[in-house]
Amino acid sequence: MKFSPALGQLIDALRCLPGVGPKSAQRMSMHLLERDRAGALALAEALRVAMDRIDHCTQCRNFSELDVCEICVDPRRDRQTICVLETPADVLAVEQSGSYRGLYFVLMGHLSPIDGIGPAEIGLDKFQARVIDEGITEVILATNPTVEGEATAYYLSDMLLPRGIRVSRIAHGVPLGGELEYVDGNTLAHAFTGRRQLSGGA
Amino acid sequence: MRVSLQPAYLLHSRPYRDSSLLLDMFTAEHGRVSLIGRGAQRRSRGGSQAALLQPFRPLLVSFAGRAEQKPLLAVEAAGALPALRAERLFSGLYLNELLVRLLQRHDPQQPLFALYGATLECLATKPVVDADLRRFEFGLLDALGYGFDPAHDGHSGLPVAQNGWYQYQAEFGLVACDTAAVASGARFAGGDLLGIAAGHYEGEYGAAAKRLLRQALASHLGERPLHSRELFRQFRNAGRQQ
Repeated sequence: MKFSPALGQLIDALRCLPGVGPKSAQRMSMHLLERDRAGALALAEALRVAMDRIDHCTQCRNFSELDVCEICVDPRRDRQTICVLETPADVLAVEQSGSYRGLYFVLMGHLSPIDGIGPAEIGLDKFQARVIDEGITEVILATNPTVEGEATAYYLSDMLLPRGIRVSRIAHGVPLGGELEYVDGNTLAHAFTGRRQLSGGA
Repeated sequence: MRVSLQPAYLLHSRPYRDSSLLLDMFTAEHGRVSLIGRGAQRRSRGGSQAALLQPFRPLLVSFAGRAEQKPLLAVEAAGALPALRAERLFSGLYLNELLVRLLQRHDPQQPLFALYGATLECLATKPVVDADLRRFEFGLLDALGYGFDPAHDGHSGLPVAQNGWYQYQAEFGLVACDTAAVASGARFAGGDLLGIAAGHYEGEYGAAAKRLLRQALASHLGERPLHSRELFRQFRNAGRQQ
């Protein structure tokens, strides 16, 4: 059976979503047309608005509708500490953990020479200027513990340490509720080198 | 075709679809191959495959199929991750970029594979690695069929003269040249070349060896610059400004 051109176009367009193949795209299109036309229009409008309005925050590079995002203008946050992350999803993860009250900087990637991504592409020059201008005293490097993430963290630490800024790297180790038997050797080695002395009474 | 437990290193990986990875691997007996790690980043597998699939780590991979991109069936660690720290990470990424740019797929390169592993080991353990990087670059040129002998004139076949001047040409290797016609940055003193041929890649011959290999590699890399070298340069410059 041949679809009408508009339906064919809709099915193709839906396939841009992650995890959606031709069959699921077809099912989604049929569902929207048969049962939920109002929902489909709301979706179309939401998509249009989001694409029009959402850009990067000029300070932290996270997604935001405002020039400067809510986290960056929040007066209750610690303005001396800044946490460097690879993606906006990482910001959400840290925010949901509720363990951090400082500011963020989102690289939107990591250093990866083979892909042609250098310091300028992930905004490191901008970050350096920001750290100096705003008098940041501590930078937390929370890039992923992959080879590229480590290279990025090292590049940043080398850039900041000579300026007398406190730089820390998030700890790598055994996950909570995990069992040592199933943790891979490198993680375990990291956990051992980064072990913490217990003080009396703790 | 099914290949089991093949020694390999990951050169580069890219996310693909939802939770898969496109892997550019350097294997011992099959050379550079590209594999698809289906669901490698899936959480239900504990993300264990993605955690194993890191550059520089000795791996054992199993794959099958005749397609250009073969599915990765299994992966195991064959050893500990060499502890590349600080600047050595950039050097390691440089090796990987060279291999990705210059190696053809499905071209077995066993000596080069062994040399790559040994060079990574040096990067992890030695305080100075310039000579090891040069040895790798020479080994890579040899493996590609672009090897040349620094002690002989590629045109005439005569031994290099201590006081002569030579320039590198991709087709011949080193060729005697006129000092007036060739800029000083493009020519090499005979004495330096004899030192390099004797295996001295450090100390007084270090700079010449670096320049010679850079020119030799550049002629095969084509127009596009090496991003890892650019990264290293920016890194050094950033350090100097402070």
